[in-house]
This record gives sequence, structure tokens and C-alpha cells, in this order.
Amino acid sequence: MAVPVRERALAYAILIAMAVLVLIPVLAGSLTAFKPQIIWISSPPVWFFQPTLENFEFVLITRQNWLHLRNSLIISIGSVLIALALGVPAAYGFARFRFRGSRGLMQWLISLRMIPPIVVGLPFYAMFLFLERSTGLGLRDTHFGLILTYQTFLLPLVIWMMRGYFVELPAAMEESAMVEGYTRIGALRRVVLPVVWPGIVATALLNFIFAWNEFFLALILAGNNTSTLPMAAGTYVVRARVEWGNLFAVNLIIMMPVIVLTIFLRQQLVKGLTFGILE
Amino acid sequence: MAKPDVSAQPAGQSLARRVYRLTQRHRHWFFIGPALLILLAVVIYPIIFSTGVSLFRVTFASMSRPFVGLQNFERMLGNDDFLQSAYNTLFYVVFSVSGSFLLGFGAALLIRRISRGRDILRLILIVPITMAPIVVGLMWNWMLDPLFGLINWFLGLLGIPGQTLLAQAGTARLMVVLVDIWQWYPLVFLIIEAGMATLPRAPYESARLEGVSSWMIFRRITLPMLRPVILVALLLRTVDAFRTFDLVRVMTDGGPALTTETLSLYLYRTAFTFNKLSRAAAGSILMLLVIGLISAMMFRFLYKDIEVG
Repeated sequence: MAVPVRERALAYAILIAMAVLVLIPVLAGSLTAFKPQIIWISSPPVWFFQPTLENFEFVLITRQNWLHLRNSLIISIGSVLIALALGVPAAYGFARFRFRGSRGLMQWLISLRMIPPIVVGLPFYAMFLFLERSTGLGLRDTHFGLILTYQTFLLPLVIWMMRGYFVELPAAMEESAMVEGYTRIGALRRVVLPVVWPGIVATALLNFIFAWNEFFLALILAGNNTSTLPMAAGTYVVRARVEWGNLFAVNLIIMMPVIVLTIFLRQQLVKGLTFGILE
Repeated sequence: MAKPDVSAQPAGQSLARRVYRLTQRHRHWFFIGPALLILLAVVIYPIIFSTGVSLFRVTFASMSRPFVGLQNFERMLGNDDFLQSAYNTLFYVVFSVSGSFLLGFGAALLIRRISRGRDILRLILIVPITMAPIVVGLMWNWMLDPLFGLINWFLGLLGIPGQTLLAQAGTARLMVVLVDIWQWYPLVFLIIEAGMATLPRAPYESARLEGVSSWMIFRRITLPMLRPVILVALLLRTVDAFRTFDLVRVMTDGGPALTTETLSLYLYRTAFTFNKLSRAAAGSILMLLVIGLISAMMFRFLYKDIEVG
């Protein structure tokens, strides 16, 4: 349909203004990460300077944020792998088998998206604490403990997203393979998995973003051994005195992988963000 | 799980066949069971545990737990700070949801009117959604800094002196909501735009042929057909705004004078600063009930329109 020129010009003007309002804080802030310390807080801001990597060196090595980076990687990748191992078969089960209560169970999975983190975070802290006192089994401040608690938001999302991919596949695919003598598991491995592989990758990456950005559960349950990058970012704010260059260096380390993933994932993003409720 | 060949079995009800039948009838549990067990352990059990704790008087230090019934709930509902944080949360939900909805919906309508540059504009608008809320909060702290923030530098160019926008009760509340809108209106935009892309074209064409005005087309065709999509966007924004923690924690930490303290923040403090675990548990159960009520209502509307599952 033809859109009148004036209307289109107005649409462009507003959308570009929106994009600029998104980009200014992100770009100007990120620029600070490359500024030498003497111009971190100069006002008016300095736009042209000799960029330096000393802030990154400082946060990663001097302040040892590489440990937080490592923790974030272990926890995010670990929790995504476990969510996939449990969630992909479950999604297949929901997509292929109709059974009493299957609809209700799926709706229950969506409702998990609504639970405030404090509702599970609080009992987790107490449970870990009491468990440690009574049995000596420590889950507090362990990577595994956090990976376990992250399943509260990752696992339902993996099941919903992957179910969407399995539903799109005709059931005849595995059935014909099973007629040819494959077991269901064999058919799954040889016929179904190769086809849904891109879906699994997209699901994994999107869930990685959620685990990577998670702050609340880590704040409650992580300690010296497990504290993650988002928690490290907060340490550069000390009362009124903020180390802006260092702070934005950490911010950029948190943002970069996510932005790169987003560029590849933008088609799948809506599906993940809406939990597939729209399908 | 090796599957015996059905045709090789004799017609009688041998034990092997009966076992096979049974596993066939319940084979979905083989796939779903493990995930369900973990979800029971990490979601249902903690909620039951929390409900239990809320009925006793438990702190992190003492496990001696006298049963107090609903006393923790009564104390919570009679507590001024709790009510203040409930009010703050309501304020936050109302303005953040409506603001992000209007902006996001508007952006979705606008982007349908252009063709060149659509992908790059969409990609830029997605960026805030993918950022950790804590990063967004810290970034805007810098933007809003009274001495060297970009906002105040800009205001200075207009001759307005530096403002401590995050330290004044009236403006802090507004700023936090604005930043939340900044981060999440792109989500509404994405959802609504995805919904618009699936609308059939025929009703539009016939309406246009009959000379219906574009406002009437929007009201009578677009809005009704988008209803389920709109509900999903509103539902997600409402629950997310209701449980906000990260952004407020880094921007104002509830201050000044508790004017930005949301429920999540207040309960966190009750448990971890004041060591009142049972009372915080009671509050979190109340929060869960409210959110359950809100989503149940919205789901009812939603299921009238579409079939899910």
C-alpha cells in the first residue's frame, strides 16, 4: 500500500529519534570505558581522545574481574546445558504425545514466567543455609547451587521454545523412520535432532542471555567463589564516588556477547521474549 | 529404551506384552518426567517451604520456630513501610506499563509505514531489551549524574542549572519509571509488530475500497484483531514491572525516603538486612497471590481469543 510522503517522513523522523535516544546513552557510556582516568568525569564530556584499554586491564587483572567473568561463563553455560538436557526431551514429549493434563501442564509452565524472583530466592537462601547446618552439604556459594536455581526460569522457557520447533515438524518424520526399524530414540537422534538443531542453538543462545544478565538470585545466593559479572559491576559504585571508566569497562564486557548474539538471533528473539504465548 | 517388535508378540496377554503396553501408554513421562521433577524441586518445593516459614517465626540465626499462624501476614499488612512499597510498586506498574505500551505500540504502527532502513531501526530498538537491567541502571546513573552527566550537561546548555534528579523524592520516582520505559517499550514494539505482521490483508483492502477512514480501520479492524497480542504484551509488562528489583536497586536503592522502594526491594531488605525471614516470606507469598490473580485474569481474557497448548 502506498503511504503518503509526509506521513512517511514523519514516521522516519520519530523512529530515528527513538533510535538516537537508545544509542546515545549506550554509545556515550561505552566510550567512557576507553577513556583515560583523568577525563572520566570531565564536563563537558570529551569526545575525542586517545583511546586506551587500561580500564579493561585494571578491572580484569588488578581487580580480578576475570574471576567474575569465569563464574558468569561457568554458571550461564552450565545452566543452559542442564536446561537443554532436561527441557528438549520434555518439549518433544509435549509436542508429540497427547495425554490427560498435558494442556494444563503447559499452561502451568507459562505461569512460571510470572513468578517474582524473590518468591523463590528467599526460600532458596534459607533452604541452602539450613541444609548446610543440618547435613554439612553446602550448596551456598557453589556454581552448582546457582545452576540449579537458574532452572526456575530457564527450564520452562526451553520447554516452551523447543516445543514450538517440534510442533512444526510433521510427526510422519519419525514415524517413517520407526517403520524402517529405528526405535523412537534412534529416530529422534538420527532424523529429528539434525532438523531441529538450529532451533536448539537459538534456544540455547537466548537462554544464555537470560542467565548471563541474571542479578537477583546471584545477589542472594552467590559468594566469594561464585559472584558473577553483574555483581562485579556494582562494586565500582562506592557512595558518591564512582569509578566510571572501570564501571563502563565491566558494563561493556557484560553487554558485548549479548549484542553480538542478538544480531544473529533477532528472528528468534520475539518467540523467546514472549515465551511463545503468541503461537 | 529398546522397543520390542509388536508384530512378533503372540496374540495372548503375555507379561512382556502387558508391560510393553503400560510403558507405551505412559511413555510421555519418560520424556517429561525428569524436567518435571526438577521443576517440582526448584519451584514448587521452595514455595511450599516459604509458605511454611511464613506461618512460623523463623530467622536465619534461630531455627527454633514457634508456630504463629497468620501473624506474619497481619504484621506485614499493618506495616507502613510495606504499604508504602506496595503503593510505590503500583505507581511503578501503572506508569511503566502504560508508558511503554503507548510508545511501543506507536513505534510498531510507525515502522509499518516505512520500508528502507526498517531492519536496522528494529535492531537498534532491540538493544535495550537485551541489556542486563543492572547495566541499564548504572548507565543511566551516569547519564543523570548532577555534576558530569550528559543530561545535566545538556540542561546546562539550555541554561538550566544541574539537577540532582535521583536524589529528590519527586523526581527520583519519575526517573526510575522513565528508565524502565526506556528499556522495555522496545519489547512492546517487538511483540505488537510481530502480531501486526500476521494480520490478514483482506479486511483492510475491502475497508479501503469502501472508503473507511484510517482511524476507523484502526479501531474496527486492527485493534480487535490484535487483542490477544496486546494482552500478551500487557501481561508480560505488568508482571515484569510488578517484580522489578535490579534497576531500582542500582539507581536509588529505594531512596530517597523510601519513595522508590518496590515490593521486591522491601522484602529483600526485610529478610537480609533486618533478618525477618518469616515476615519476608509472608510478604512474598502475598506478592505471589497478587501476581497469580493478575495473570489469571489476563489469561482468562486471552483464552477467550486464542487456543493455547
